[in-house]
Amino acid sequence: MTYLPTADHDELRAMVRELAEERIAPRAAQIDESGEFPMDLRELLAQQDLLGTCFEERHGGTGLDTIAQSIVVEEIARVDATTSLIPIVQKLGALPIILAGSAEQQDRYLPRLASGEWLVAFALTEAAAGSDVASNRMRATRDGDDYVLNGSKRFITHGSVADLLTVFALTDPGAGGTKGMSAFVMEADTPGFAAPRVEHKMGIRGSPTAELTFDDVRVPAANRLGAEGEGFKIAMATLDRSRLSIAAQAVGIAQGALDAAVSYAADRQQFGERVVDFQGIQWMLADMTSTNEAARQLTYAAAARVDASAADLPYWTSSAKLVAGDVAMRVTTDAVQILGGYGYIAEYPVERMMRDAKITQLYEGTQQIQRLIVARQLLARAGVSKRG
Amino acid sequence: MKIVVCIKQVPATGADKRYTDDLRLDREGVEAIINPLDEYAIEQALRLVDDGTVESVTYLSMGPEQASEALRRALAMGGDEAVLVTDPALAGADEWATAKVLAAALDKLAPDVALMGMASDDARGSLVPGAVAAMRDLPLLSYGAELVLADGSARVRRLSATGYDWISAPLPVVATVTDQVGEPRYASLKGIMAAKRKPLETWSLDDLGLTGDELRGAALTRVTDARPPEEKSPTERLENLPAAEAATKIADWLAARKLI
Amino acid sequence: MSNDILFFAEFSAGKPARSALELAAGAAELASQSGGAAVALAYGPGAADGAAGLGAHGAARAVVLGDEDRPAITYAPAAVAAARDGGLAVLAPATPNGRDLAAALVGTLHLPAFGPVRSARMRDGTLETEQATLQGSVITTSTPAEGAPTPSVVLVLANTFTPVEGGSGSAEVSQASGAEKSAFTKATVAESHEADARVVNLEEASIIVAGGRGVGGEEGFAPLRDLAAALGGAVGASRAAADAGWIPYQLQIGQTGKVVKPSLYIGAGISGAIQHRVGMQTAEHVVAINRDPDAPIGEFADLFVVGDLFQIIPALTEEIRRRKEA
Repeated sequence: MTYLPTADHDELRAMVRELAEERIAPRAAQIDESGEFPMDLRELLAQQDLLGTCFEERHGGTGLDTIAQSIVVEEIARVDATTSLIPIVQKLGALPIILAGSAEQQDRYLPRLASGEWLVAFALTEAAAGSDVASNRMRATRDGDDYVLNGSKRFITHGSVADLLTVFALTDPGAGGTKGMSAFVMEADTPGFAAPRVEHKMGIRGSPTAELTFDDVRVPAANRLGAEGEGFKIAMATLDRSRLSIAAQAVGIAQGALDAAVSYAADRQQFGERVVDFQGIQWMLADMTSTNEAARQLTYAAAARVDASAADLPYWTSSAKLVAGDVAMRVTTDAVQILGGYGYIAEYPVERMMRDAKITQLYEGTQQIQRLIVARQLLARAGVSKRG
Repeated sequence: MKIVVCIKQVPATGADKRYTDDLRLDREGVEAIINPLDEYAIEQALRLVDDGTVESVTYLSMGPEQASEALRRALAMGGDEAVLVTDPALAGADEWATAKVLAAALDKLAPDVALMGMASDDARGSLVPGAVAAMRDLPLLSYGAELVLADGSARVRRLSATGYDWISAPLPVVATVTDQVGEPRYASLKGIMAAKRKPLETWSLDDLGLTGDELRGAALTRVTDARPPEEKSPTERLENLPAAEAATKIADWLAARKLI
Repeated sequence: MSNDILFFAEFSAGKPARSALELAAGAAELASQSGGAAVALAYGPGAADGAAGLGAHGAARAVVLGDEDRPAITYAPAAVAAARDGGLAVLAPATPNGRDLAAALVGTLHLPAFGPVRSARMRDGTLETEQATLQGSVITTSTPAEGAPTPSVVLVLANTFTPVEGGSGSAEVSQASGAEKSAFTKATVAESHEADARVVNLEEASIIVAGGRGVGGEEGFAPLRDLAAALGGAVGASRAAADAGWIPYQLQIGQTGKVVKPSLYIGAGISGAIQHRVGMQTAEHVVAINRDPDAPIGEFADLFVVGDLFQIIPALTEEIRRRKEA
């Protein structure tokens, strides 16, 4: 198993970078300021086959390996974190179907997701159930050939623009969240479903984060993924993989900020010298680049393990997301620092990148949850028995 | 209908370019791309495929082995196959030799239209298309903003001093198009992946029935000197002036040079 | 071997193009150095009647290739026949028509090709040319190789030679000898469309006021037109303005548009990207007006004014008018 990028990976990176710099970067500031979802860029990415990278060729995707998928996310995030969420969430929402759907369900849904014709969202989190997924309350009650969904979800990325959603709800409330939850696929135009509100956020402002309400929403039983009660397992298996996209996103955001800081410091003169020639600044840049490189390489190492179906997958993906998210926050903060006053104003992109970086420490499992996962994996490796 | 698009791999715009000590264009170690003006020819050919007029597009290039990269990039945009003519005897080939090789390859490929961009970025070789047409004894339809094929003939829309004309000739033809064709498409990811599987053949001079002797030393011109351009006097800058004052200073500047 | 210098003289609507007059002067200059005669290859509507008049512009002789209104490339076979008759060089304008004819000569007769050149002279009996290559970053000097066939084909940029003023004399006119059969003659004009406004040929303008993306729209060109009128010059544009539909494509200056060599070029709201630069970098004096102090045009302009073109240009127009009236 290798996780050194190949010539094909380099070619892919160059292609996405060119597209990102020419078509996405010019839109980034405007998207952030207006908070609009960039539908034009969604179409561009679909056209360029960049929304189908995690889908197999038989479903109309390009079946790229996980390193390649990370590179796509990284290069887009480098210029705009909001837009990078489009391929990220397309994978997140589709993973339950890929991991647990029947062949028929996969054939029914995946091709339109791979082509980007439909956007898909992942509806797990509730107002009172964030880190504590098991305390989910939304219910799915069996009624003949249907399930009737009642409840609400909060903080669902793309929830208001998705055509399809993978939804998690309790089919057996008495059994508790870990055993009583099931997963469903639901089309957005189903009666009773609404996205009444989107959040006003610190960063990734062009990405709609929605509150969703389900009012006697009927979903055919044929839309259930896996067996009743498997929902929690499916959600965790999904997040074990999808959090790697966040690691790649964080690496990309940090890289964009680093590049901006270098470019600015090389140009700006104070006290008769270029800012980039001051030792103090060089030390900061060295820390920024070496830690982000470590985050990147750990992300690729984790990606290789995903493709190898490693048994200790969560150790790798959680470590990558943990490291990359924290690095991105530090790097973007330092980038603002290097630009000084100019780093604080909207004329330069680094303040946006800093605001965008923060979410990588929060979603798809907070850094605290990642630490719990990594600790458990470590202790399991070390043969330390679980707390009795 | 079949189109062959002739493309050239050139150094990237803005990359450091130099002449070697023996005063040939030094192409080593410089980022290479498809000649930007050839991308419009590729785009025009692919549009004719999109609208069903043309069934097959082949790319043809003459250059060093490395030029196959440009052909793969073209295939990533669309098209079916590519041919690279490469031979050590072709190093330093001038426009005539280039035209001779392309003409021989085109005779072998026998397309309805041999399509090219209007000039090459580096050596400004705008004579190749016309020379190819002369050697193959085919009509030349040049500088088209658009190419249309119908009823056994080809037409290009060409700007004139006062408007535009449609110039027509019976197929087969040699044609060139300008950047007014419209923005060339990006290669999609599937395109890039598919390009790796599309056939790319390499031909030598032997395959074309040409000899190095007839082409070697075929350079009919000699570069006797290469130097950087004259040092320009430094730019005078006017900044942060109210409009009226700027206007006065500009007018003074023009007057001093007897331009007004 | 003849020491004559041939040149293409395009006629349209009964009159010679400016390129014809420039090349006549250039050919005459070279011919005086080579000891031969300047010979026009005249084609297009009015060529038969107008060929003799080229004598006042420097031509000793003129061969009429044809008088009809048909695509210039269809005159290639006749040009080939004339070139076979001998000569040291054939000058062609670096325009689409000129390049087509030059290419036909090179391809049919295997001739050395030069240019587009910015100067040409005879040195010790041999042709020597100077041209900018690699987007102006290198100037090369070239000559025909030993034993190369003649004539050499030389593409010449506009404004390289200056037409003769107040000359007299009449060129000796002859008809082209039988043209060879060639597929080039199969091109015909299927349709012809005139634009509503007559556009000035920028290649002939000695003062150009050009607008780019910064002009913002069709109406934005109005102050530029006023300035051009006050200066007695023409309006041009960058590709961005042409693509946006603000002005006709005939006014686009640049790599894929017109290459101009005015004595004064004023660029307003033009960033100066390389593709535009190669179309105007040989202008004698370059003035640029741009809001962006880092615009690339600021590096090669002679005078760079950082400011709002919509304020500065009207003020400049007024100042110029004031001075002209005074």
